[in-house]
Amino acid sequence: MNPIITFDGVSKWYANVIGLNKLTLHIPAGVTGLLGPNGAGKSTLLQLATGQLQPSQGAVRVLGQSVWDNPVLNRAVGLCPEQDSFYEWMTGHDFVRTNARLSGLSRRDAVAAADKAMARVGMTENMNRAIRGYSKGMRQRTKLAQAFVHEPQVLFLDEPLTGTDPVARRDMIEVIRGMAADGCSVLVSSHVLHEIQSLTQQIVLLHRGRLVAEGHVRDIRNLIDKHPHRIVLVCDRYRDLAAKLSTCDDVDGIQFLACDSGLMVETRQPDTFYARLPALARTDGLALREVYSDDDNLEAVFKYLVSK
Amino acid sequence: MTVAERSIPQRSRSAELSALFTLFVLTVRQHTHGRRLLVIGFLYLLPCVLAVVLRTLNKSTAGESLEFSLVFWLLPHGLAPLTALLYAAGIVTDEVEEQTLTYLLMRSIPRWAIYFTKLLATVCVTTALVAAAVIGLYLAIYAGTPNFGTDVLPRAGRAVVVMALAQVGYCALFGFLGLFTKRSLIAGIAYIVAIEGILANMDFVGRSFTVVYYVRTLTLRWLELPHELQLRCQDAWGLPDLNPLPNSGRCVLILLGFGVVVSVLSSLRFARSEFHVKTPGGE
Repeated sequence: MNPIITFDGVSKWYANVIGLNKLTLHIPAGVTGLLGPNGAGKSTLLQLATGQLQPSQGAVRVLGQSVWDNPVLNRAVGLCPEQDSFYEWMTGHDFVRTNARLSGLSRRDAVAAADKAMARVGMTENMNRAIRGYSKGMRQRTKLAQAFVHEPQVLFLDEPLTGTDPVARRDMIEVIRGMAADGCSVLVSSHVLHEIQSLTQQIVLLHRGRLVAEGHVRDIRNLIDKHPHRIVLVCDRYRDLAAKLSTCDDVDGIQFLACDSGLMVETRQPDTFYARLPALARTDGLALREVYSDDDNLEAVFKYLVSK
Repeated sequence: MTVAERSIPQRSRSAELSALFTLFVLTVRQHTHGRRLLVIGFLYLLPCVLAVVLRTLNKSTAGESLEFSLVFWLLPHGLAPLTALLYAAGIVTDEVEEQTLTYLLMRSIPRWAIYFTKLLATVCVTTALVAAAVIGLYLAIYAGTPNFGTDVLPRAGRAVVVMALAQVGYCALFGFLGLFTKRSLIAGIAYIVAIEGILANMDFVGRSFTVVYYVRTLTLRWLELPHELQLRCQDAWGLPDLNPLPNSGRCVLILLGFGVVVSVLSSLRFARSEFHVKTPGGE
């Protein structure tokens, strides 16, 4: 399948500061999460992908086209920027309608599209109020509405859920999923992993302007096998268990947890370790009460990979 | 061509024009919201009030003296360029500072056209403001005088046209300045004082590179000023002989040509420029 977004050896630097460093990335259709801590280069990547910045080196293409000053491509692209900025004196509907008109929609079509977009983000009731009186959640919803009011094929969302309350967050996730279900490809950035997890399993990890990993969460998890897995074991006789484990070659470290009867074991051979556990639980009456991996969420994957 | 390329929807020429018109209207609305318009309005009101007060306190105050001081001196040398500076220098930097430029750059309008359209809207707004100021001043100075309808109003109309041409030059110039420096207000004021103020009053060829030189020439040629006022203006501006001055058509062409050339250069500069909008993450 042709990638929707391609970065070929893209670097972007601002004077002496590197925003992105030799990034080669091919993003397929569908929803892709862009993960990284603040300063990782997520916004730079999105600004390059939407033609707001020019790469210092390399080439960026979206839908097979060069992105810089390409008004034709802009018809097929939408952006929900990170910054909380609007024409504050407008109403929400006016703002979204104006953006629709700027995308070339006729007066009538723009009104209809703005109505539909505001309804989709749950803003119908408040769309005729001035934006300056909106809550953070309403502002985020309005910003999202302007991004897709012209029905783009590719949607770039820069931290769209930041600062939203749980209800708004849930609603916006539903909207983004709905866009994807309608065939729109979405690249959504966040530094909060569970936000991305709730949207997609396809992720790109950035750190300090470099690509750390990309692909399905499952594939990325395989990468971390090179790094210690953390497995928590709960057992009444946890000191005896620790003594037993300390003799195993595949155990790199053992840490007593603050909570009662808990051990955290670090291993670079999780499969071997897990295979031994049933026998361990049966022998010597150690009776493991609970076993779980601290790596079972994306947060752990992220921490491992960015700390390489 | 890939499948993706072919599937991008094509829009008609009318859709493109509609987007440009929307940008034009948006810019006008931006200019007419906020405190800047209040400040300009207040600045324009002051000379009008001054004229009314002087006429009220001293019935013998000659209208022509007020016209010379306020319409032919204060307006073209101070208020008109200041208005152009306040609006035109900020057409891009305001959008960058308010972080709204992103919304424009993401739309199906070529970059050069974004700048050009915003500048055009700015010229229209500042021209409307200056026109209102000219009419207001003439009303404040001459309202109720016997020849108000026959002589003064036509003169006011021609003065509006001259000031509109001046706004084309000033807006183009200050828009250009706004693209090159973040301190465009300071640079613009320095330009107004040094070039349009001091240089334009020096009797040498350098003044033909100022906007105000052509404004003065058009004023002397077009406005059919009363004889005394005409002589007073010529004397004050160091233009005792009209013969060596460019003719009206040339003045118009120079002002419009300058405006168009500088606007095109600015549009191209804008099209090639990156604008770094601050993000909360600081990236």
